[in-house]
Amino acid sequence: MMEFDSTHLWMHFWAIATAATVSAGCALVGSFLVVRRLSLLGDAISHAVLPGIVLAVLAGGRPGGAGVFLGAVVAALVTVWLTNLLGTHAGLAEDAGAGVAFTTLFAIGVVLVSALASRVDIDPGCVLYGILELVPFDTVPIFGLEVPRALLAAATVLVVLVVAAALCWKELVFTAFDPAAARAAGLPVGLVSAGLLVATSLATVASFEAVGAILVVAMLAVPAAAAELLVRRFHRMLVVAVALGVAGSIVGYLAAWRFNTNAAGMIAVVLGIEYLLAALLAPGDGIVARVVSRESLRWRVACEDRLASLWRAEEGDAAALAPRTLLDRLAQARLVFGGRIVPGAAGGLTDIGREEARVIVRSHRLWEAWLGRHVALPLDHLHPPAEWIEHHLGAEVRGRIAADLEGDEGDPHGRDIPPEGFPSRPADAPTQ
Amino acid sequence: MILAVADMAFPAGWIPPYNTLVVAAGVASVGFAAGVVGCFAVLRRRALAGDAAAHATLLGVGLAFLLGGGRRDLPLLLGGALSTAIAALLALVLIGRWTRTRDDAATAIVLGVSFGAGITLLSGISARGIPGSAGLEQFLLGHTAGLTAADAMILGALSLLTVALVALFLKESTLVAFDPLFAAASGWPVTLIDYALVVLVAVMVVVGLPAAGAVLVTALVVIPPVTARQWTDSVGVMLPLAGLFGLVAALSGVAVSSAVPRMPTGPLVVIAASILLTISLLIAPRRGGLARWLRARRTVAAWAEGRLLEVALRLEVQGPFTREQLLAKAPGAAADSAFKRLVRSAAIEPVVTRAGTHAWRLAVWGRELAAERSRRLAAWTEVLEAAREDARGHLTIDVPSPEAILGAARMKAIRESAAAARSASGPA
Amino acid sequence: MSTTSAGLEFHDVTVAYGRRPVLWNVDLTVPGACLFGIIGPNGAGKSTLLKAALGLVPLAGGEVRILGAPLEQVRSRVGYVPQRESVDWDFPVTVTDVVLMGTYARLGWLRRPGPRERSLAAECLDRVGLADVADRQIGRLSGGQQQRVFLARALAQQADVYFLDEPMAGVDARSQERIFRVLSDLRAEGRLVVIVHHDLRSVAEWFDAVALIDMRLVATGPVAEVLTPENLRRTYAGRLDVLDEIGRAVAEGGRTP
Repeated sequence: MMEFDSTHLWMHFWAIATAATVSAGCALVGSFLVVRRLSLLGDAISHAVLPGIVLAVLAGGRPGGAGVFLGAVVAALVTVWLTNLLGTHAGLAEDAGAGVAFTTLFAIGVVLVSALASRVDIDPGCVLYGILELVPFDTVPIFGLEVPRALLAAATVLVVLVVAAALCWKELVFTAFDPAAARAAGLPVGLVSAGLLVATSLATVASFEAVGAILVVAMLAVPAAAAELLVRRFHRMLVVAVALGVAGSIVGYLAAWRFNTNAAGMIAVVLGIEYLLAALLAPGDGIVARVVSRESLRWRVACEDRLASLWRAEEGDAAALAPRTLLDRLAQARLVFGGRIVPGAAGGLTDIGREEARVIVRSHRLWEAWLGRHVALPLDHLHPPAEWIEHHLGAEVRGRIAADLEGDEGDPHGRDIPPEGFPSRPADAPTQ
Repeated sequence: MILAVADMAFPAGWIPPYNTLVVAAGVASVGFAAGVVGCFAVLRRRALAGDAAAHATLLGVGLAFLLGGGRRDLPLLLGGALSTAIAALLALVLIGRWTRTRDDAATAIVLGVSFGAGITLLSGISARGIPGSAGLEQFLLGHTAGLTAADAMILGALSLLTVALVALFLKESTLVAFDPLFAAASGWPVTLIDYALVVLVAVMVVVGLPAAGAVLVTALVVIPPVTARQWTDSVGVMLPLAGLFGLVAALSGVAVSSAVPRMPTGPLVVIAASILLTISLLIAPRRGGLARWLRARRTVAAWAEGRLLEVALRLEVQGPFTREQLLAKAPGAAADSAFKRLVRSAAIEPVVTRAGTHAWRLAVWGRELAAERSRRLAAWTEVLEAAREDARGHLTIDVPSPEAILGAARMKAIRESAAAARSASGPA
Repeated sequence: MSTTSAGLEFHDVTVAYGRRPVLWNVDLTVPGACLFGIIGPNGAGKSTLLKAALGLVPLAGGEVRILGAPLEQVRSRVGYVPQRESVDWDFPVTVTDVVLMGTYARLGWLRRPGPRERSLAAECLDRVGLADVADRQIGRLSGGQQQRVFLARALAQQADVYFLDEPMAGVDARSQERIFRVLSDLRAEGRLVVIVHHDLRSVAEWFDAVALIDMRLVATGPVAEVLTPENLRRTYAGRLDVLDEIGRAVAEGGRTP
């Protein structure tokens, strides 16, 4: 499909500019859709604008012209109205209602395109996946520069969307966060929602020529969802979503050029890769971060259990357990290296190691004592939970538990609870 | 409608060849199976997961085409489509389990990205001019003209197999779809059954691909069940009915597209299904729009008549009354026509007064009607006091007879308990 | 059912959603044949405890035994009434269809309910007073009637131990009484009925014994011994803050302050 040679750099520039502009608008609108759980709406509208566009073109509108935008907005409103009608009158769940409404409207659009192919200058293939590569050939002169009509339309829509978002920022955010409270606070929630609907249709129509009806869904949802994983604040999410959308368009277009395939499809693929990376690498609760946190917890538990076991052996209760699993052996090595355990086969605790071990055993016995007092567990049920919780008690909570036990010195098994040692803050010291 | 479609597709004197008949039979069973399997997708609110899987099939078709070395072998292509459809469903599950992204966005992501990947691959294939690749685009919007009899038989057999599976495990599927928690508590492998149902939907999406295409095949799975739901309150009826609607939609779509050159099948199938749905939404008994409208109208009319009779009974104590007096005491949009009906049915009769103005009074018949209505209201009051639950959903504003609805025996029991309650609380 | 072995035992049961514990170390034994209430404030883990008993949530630690055996061995002797909101009431099934679902587990794969199951379903519907709405679609019932359909379904399970999750939520007084009467009959037949309940007022009237739960077991025993002001204070204004803080630390894999 991409049969230009590299001398047509201008052509590629215009196509990339169009894709990036379209993508920015979609990411902007998509962010609101994603946080309001309305991604479905983007899906529905992107399918349903087709008959609106076809009818507008039939009535004499130019592709990318105001008439076509109007037709698409009307079609979008009809879809939403139909979905609501199916919900209230036929008792349909939202997903089924939307599924019925948008497939039907899209089907009507395709039939119109196929039946009137001679009178409507719309390619059925373009309807589905757009032909970004052809965008630069349909231009209008602006100050002597031949600018693609699609870019002009997309840029206009982008400006309108940005201005509208800036003007209604407060209302948009409040409505997105809590529609019920926003309504109660007297904000025109219905109007804001309708505005979002119109904005979605505008973004969709602007993208239609370049990327087709279905790949708009990717442009609306993917950058926004990826941004939502990466940042927690909404205004940052907007910026990140737009950046991801623009970057995805540029990289996607270049990749399509390189591999000689459809640009819109490749842009969707690149956006998908962006989302995958975001899901993997998101700080805090990305998949990698979660795996790292889980494994580092296991590591810490192994080290602490090792220390505690040596401490108990010094206390004379039991012989220290020899490290058995690979994790245990690694923990042993780490503790020796870190100066917690004396090297050698019969290595005992060093001074630092002993301090740390005492805190762990203290946590363990405090928790046993607390459970024994408040949960009325039998004696033989106390050890397993304490084995677990000992790794999660900090100085302050230990202090509070000790205070709650009112200086009861022993654990339920009759062993001493070791003292806190050097507290991190004086206030944390247990009452003794 | 089907006849008209058949006329269009098969002009007089034209005898359909063997191939056409087999393809029609295959498509009919695909439509039937899609309707049946779709029921659980709709009832379990998974309509759009199916859509995501459908859009992902294109990628599988392209991959299978490349793997098969450029052969356009339908079972191979559909096998590829099924594997990516299932991969898409798996991606949905994984996104739900591992990220904060919510269901709706996850569906849009999987749908958009997998469709984009499919388009990229197919465009790449066609740009390289690999022989045989021209037909792949038919999987976008569906095109049954290229199907051979052997293809159609495979599709038909797969469809019948899925229908057989659903029929065999109807009890288990219904239980899991209705109340998964209870099913799990009584020891059923809920996750397994759930996934099996989802995979069946994926299979149907793939089998429906040649008829409806990746973009619209979901409609074949969603619209017939929704249509069937309008006609029945029972799963056992809904499944075959959905199958029937699917069959009719698929056949009419295929018939029309074979009559019109260059027209993809998918959109026509969807439009046929939507026409059936629209008709059902209008005329289905009880749930249909017409039935609702008539019911609402009847209720309002009966209420207005009842109110007029009630007011007339009170006004009559002072002798005949004018129409204006009556309507002023019982206003409402339906009052005027209610008055006319009462006059026509001779419940209210005119009296000639000296002044020559029109005045009215209740006829014997009207007085009886009014008395019956106040008796019913009193009975319902008792029901409301003694057994509020029985009134729920029955006490409509047209004040039906409680005996007719609850049964004479139940009314007697309610009366007795009301009387007992009165005598118990009375002395205190 | 042997009356000597305990009906239901929780041994040191801990349940976590994700990594965060929501129910800590519950150790509880319920004798056979009684109406047993699980009482506690919102978010105390009452329903979670029930779901743990039924194997609907994984245990982070501990063990549950029903009638002296692990759940898998006695699954067919356990009946369950989930919360009413847990299903879609617009689902196209009739009242009888739902009650028949109680017989499905005994029927096993592939077999369909026959005349015997149908007559059992009719009998169960009669017991909860819904015989006259047997063929109605379930959405066209009142809340109390819907709850009674669920109860009838559990009766059709012909179990020895019944678990009910908030059966009185959003139910009118007449249905409540009817439900409690059916449950007392079950007890009279020697069955154990465990009910998650939120309304303290009706506890003394109906239950034989209760457990007070607030993320951990606060007290258990006969109603009169358990519902003391001291126990109620500990349950409804308890020492949640420590458990909450530790729970958060466990979920994040870190330490409390």
